[in-house]
Amino acid sequence: MKWMKNLKTYVPPSFVVERDDYRCIRCKACVEQCSFDATFYDEDEDRVWAWNANCVGCNRCAAICPTDAITVRRADPTYRYNHNWNGHVDSLKKRAIFGGTPVVSMGNDKPYPIYWDHMLLNASQVTNPSIDPLREPMELKTFLGRKPDSISVSDDGLKTKLAPQLELDIPIMFAAMSYGALSYNVIEALGRAAKEMGTYYNSGEGGLNKDHYKFKGNIIVQVASGRFGVHKDYLDVGSAIEIKIGQGAKPGIGGHLPGEKVSETISETRMMPKGSDALSPAPHHDVYSIEDLRQLIYALKEATEYKKPVAVKIACVHNVAAIASGIARAGADIIVLDGFKGGTGASPQVIRDNIGLPLEVSLAVVDERLRQEGIRQYVSIVASGGIRNSMDVVKAIALGADAVYIGTAALIAIGCTMCQQCHTGKCAWGISTQDPHLSKRVNPDIASKRLINLLEVWALEIKETMGAMGINSIESLRGNRLNLRGVGLNEKELEILGILPAGE
Amino acid sequence: MKIVIVGNSVAAVNAIEAIRDRDKISSITVVSDENYRAYSHPLLPNLVIGEVSRSEERFYYRRTGFYEDNKIKTILGKKVTKLDVQGKLVELDNGEKLEYDKLLLACGGKPVKPPIDGFDLKGVHTLTNIKSADKLRRDLKNISHCVVVGGGLIGSKVAEKLAKKGIKVTLVELMRRVLFPVLDDIGADYIHKELKRLGITLVLNDSVSALDGDERVGQVILKSGKKIDADGVVVAVGVAPNIDLAKDANLDVDRGVVVNDFMQTSNENVYAAGDVAQAYDIVMGLKRPIPILPLAARQGRIAGLNMLGAGVKYKGGFPMNSITIGQTSFISAGIVDSEELEVLSIKKGNEYRKFLVDEDNKLKGMILVNNVEKAGMFNWMIQNRFDVSWIKDAFLNSDFGWKYFNKAFRVLRLDRKIK
Amino acid sequence: MRIVKIREDNCIFCHLCEVACIVEHSQSKDIIKAFKREERPIARCTVEFNYPISLSIMCRHCDDAPCIEACQNGSMHRDERGYVVVNPQTCVGCWMCIMACPYGVIKRDTRREKWGLSTKCDLCPDRVIPACVEACPNEALTFEEL
Ligand SMILES: Cc1cc2nc3c(=O)[nH]c(=O)nc-3n(C[C@H](O)[C@H](O)[C@H](O)COP(=O)(O)OP(=O)(O)OC[C@H]3O[C@@H](n4cnc5c(N)ncnc54)[C@H](O)[C@@H]3O)c2cc1C
Ligand code: SF4
Ligand code: SF4
Ligand code: SF4
Ligand code: SF4
Ligand code: SF4
Repeated sequence: MKWMKNLKTYVPPSFVVERDDYRCIRCKACVEQCSFDATFYDEDEDRVWAWNANCVGCNRCAAICPTDAITVRRADPTYRYNHNWNGHVDSLKKRAIFGGTPVVSMGNDKPYPIYWDHMLLNASQVTNPSIDPLREPMELKTFLGRKPDSISVSDDGLKTKLAPQLELDIPIMFAAMSYGALSYNVIEALGRAAKEMGTYYNSGEGGLNKDHYKFKGNIIVQVASGRFGVHKDYLDVGSAIEIKIGQGAKPGIGGHLPGEKVSETISETRMMPKGSDALSPAPHHDVYSIEDLRQLIYALKEATEYKKPVAVKIACVHNVAAIASGIARAGADIIVLDGFKGGTGASPQVIRDNIGLPLEVSLAVVDERLRQEGIRQYVSIVASGGIRNSMDVVKAIALGADAVYIGTAALIAIGCTMCQQCHTGKCAWGISTQDPHLSKRVNPDIASKRLINLLEVWALEIKETMGAMGINSIESLRGNRLNLRGVGLNEKELEILGILPAGE
Repeated sequence: MKIVIVGNSVAAVNAIEAIRDRDKISSITVVSDENYRAYSHPLLPNLVIGEVSRSEERFYYRRTGFYEDNKIKTILGKKVTKLDVQGKLVELDNGEKLEYDKLLLACGGKPVKPPIDGFDLKGVHTLTNIKSADKLRRDLKNISHCVVVGGGLIGSKVAEKLAKKGIKVTLVELMRRVLFPVLDDIGADYIHKELKRLGITLVLNDSVSALDGDERVGQVILKSGKKIDADGVVVAVGVAPNIDLAKDANLDVDRGVVVNDFMQTSNENVYAAGDVAQAYDIVMGLKRPIPILPLAARQGRIAGLNMLGAGVKYKGGFPMNSITIGQTSFISAGIVDSEELEVLSIKKGNEYRKFLVDEDNKLKGMILVNNVEKAGMFNWMIQNRFDVSWIKDAFLNSDFGWKYFNKAFRVLRLDRKIK
Repeated sequence: MRIVKIREDNCIFCHLCEVACIVEHSQSKDIIKAFKREERPIARCTVEFNYPISLSIMCRHCDDAPCIEACQNGSMHRDERGYVVVNPQTCVGCWMCIMACPYGVIKRDTRREKWGLSTKCDLCPDRVIPACVEACPNEALTFEEL
């Protein structure tokens, strides 16, 4: 017997795996593919069974089953209806039974408002012409970095010396997801796609495997509080350097890569012992003020001969606007705002689900504040945390972002079903795991092709909507809140977002 | 060019195919004293008891139309009686003479006749060709108890078939086990059990001293003095290469017709291949006849190519056999029993695995009983003198396979980058 | 000549290549019937596993095909497409091809009444792209010139 239910540890299963026994041919593909021990084959009975309690709803089994015999259903708890308590019973029990605070992954899944879905875009009719992106040129090219206050031009061209810029063919980059959290093959796919699409992949806080130095020119390297894998070569490979102060999924706390995921190659890349937990402290212990941050920014600029823009990434928190202003003044070239729906490879559930600020709101207030202070040109703004589709990108740019980062969306493109098990290291889709047997499940050829497809389709969709609005360059969309109207929002929300209500 | 081939079996057919692959013009004449198209010798025991008949396609070595399609002139039912290497011609038993530019001796072997009395009695048989098989088959109705002399490949197989047919069979073997050169004691034990299960009486460590009877054999007298009443005898104590033609022509002969790496005899225009040839044994490191079908095929092909001047080298062969008796199948190769070599072996119920490795970590031989599917991988290692030091530990695993190899090597092999 | 290229780095040990091969060589070519109603063919490919290695292996369709050389009655032969295949009408199950195959990819089917049947990859004569290649969810098998 592999497993038996025990009242002492019983929490009702979240999923039920249904198998149509007539269709099941006992090929056992599902058994092998389930990395959570939720499926097994009983030789004596010649049947495939499920331990529902172990099922995380990743749907790997349903996807692989050649006869479509499997349906994975959410198990509805059958407790007496209680609006106040339902949904809290099991999570309370887990704490009581297992005695620890649950660690989760991916982004906040609670039903907070989604402002993207309360904003509508404009389109041209009669009085101004719309543009057909398939006939007319459309410009998505974006430069990230400090812009000059003014420029002077001579016959030889531009006279003003520009600060270093990141050049993007499409205003979408791959967010910081470290090698360690993600498997080698996923990094390979992200790198290839970034290269092909003329954009960037952010290494995250785990350093960069030497094999991936080949993506030089399409990498942003991150420096986080743990300083894992940070050295001269690493900084040199980056086209920009990003200082990570905070992350939307876990504002105010550090990172934690469980020891199980610290494999041989991870330990090499991170420059730390194999098998030990990789803990990055909550704050950078050399950054306790904006002045300290300025020192770190300039230390990194110095180390890279002022050739690379330096970004600072923060989680969106209550006074995000003031913080952003400070960062801009501290000398950062790019500010990354990570909303409370941003993903993670591991975060305490309470933090993920209760801390932060919506990205939409943060973007609006930061853009507005920097404009008011007359320093908007000091920095580019990158929006990240919960960008789900191309229209979120358009709306983010209209709210004031220069570009966006996508994390979860990129992972979904290569298979992720958001079962939120990244922290276990057992990802059945081979994405967030260091188990060499599981990580094979991502074939970089297929995965990079899918990422490229996704970005190409999004680019086309963005162009289509720009065309509809009569805009032929993404520059003209940036901060163009006149093209947004709010629906179902109260006056205060509209004011903060800086948009008019629908009809006005 | 005029090519003449003596013999019309495995070596001959493969030579023809190799030649015709490159040369559609040269004339090829095949002479054989057997009056049939090439057939499968290993099926002769089945033919004897009627498990297969001569009207079935599976009995033949190549499909009908083979000779016409390849534009081969066949002279069947005629024996080559003389080889004149100076005159570059062969003489047939009907007096006909055939000139050649290149000659292939693919005349195989003949059954060894033990020096005993009574060999010419009725009811005494051998089994190496259709004629002898037919003779035995027609005689079956007269046989109720048959003594099979020799527990080799043919002897064991024919004993099994006769027993299956309901004939009482006694198998007499000189050595302490049947299939002596191709199995060790443990391996042979599986076969002993199978033979006994079929009702066959095994007499080991003994041999025949005389066959007794009036016209027809009635009694077999063993060296030990034991007497067995029998009305049928099959003598299967081995085959010897048909070296007479070569010997009379003063070619270099030993136990077989000696050939160089190109399957060429001591006369440059005469080649030899198959059971008749004495070619290099890569395991023993010397030249000796190895009368097995796969080597006859390979040697035939190489001889064919070299008769066209291709200069293809024969890298050497070694004995390998695949045999099924009753429910037991085994495949063995090379040296199967040795005091000097390192022996790795394991017996688990139905399955027996044994590997013999020399001090240079080269695989020299193996036995696989019942779990035989990967046999060819080991034979590849023997043939290519592969260094097995790093993988031999995995040999004893029942699930031995590609997964145990070093990745780089595996990928190169499976991508056909290393042959 | 195109054969199935094995890309072991991508093999996820799902056995779907074997499933597809079985279905392709079944009477009905219907997955459920092939497994539940009919005599199930033997998969011509075999998935091997030795953590973390997994790979599917099938006939390499050798140029010099030792299996053909060893076959006692020409059952193992090269077909019109140039692939090495068994003629089930004549195969007698002597396993001489198994003895010779340097890749160990021939399997024994001992279910016939009289003669054993040597079973190996025939590169799916009824298809343009072999069944295993098409079924592999991770492109661990591709149909290529090798
Ligand atoms: C009963 C039996 C079972 C066997 N089983 C196996 C087995 O399981 N596995 C295995 O590997 N091998 C087996 N063998 C051996 C295998 O058959 C031989 O290795 C193979 O047939 C050799 O082929 P060959 O072309 O060299 O010669 P042969 O097959 O011996 O053919 C030679 C031909 O030349 C003819 N010939 C000879 N002299 C002359 C002449 N002067 N003029 C004209 N024609 C002539 C002969 O009549 C014969 O037809 C078996 C053999 C026998 C008899
Ligand atoms: S593979 Fe995923 S969905 Fe299927 S049983 Fe396992 S955990 Fe549940
Ligand atoms: S994958 Fe489907 S057919 Fe195969 S064992 Fe699982 S449920 Fe059955
Ligand atoms: S069965 Fe084996 S020997 Fe024959 S062609 Fe295939 S890989 Fe080569
Ligand atoms: S090519 Fe066809 S026959 Fe060969 S293993 Fe694949 S599915 Fe089976
Ligand atoms: S179908 Fe592909 S991934 Fe699955 S076992 Fe076969 S080769 Fe491997």
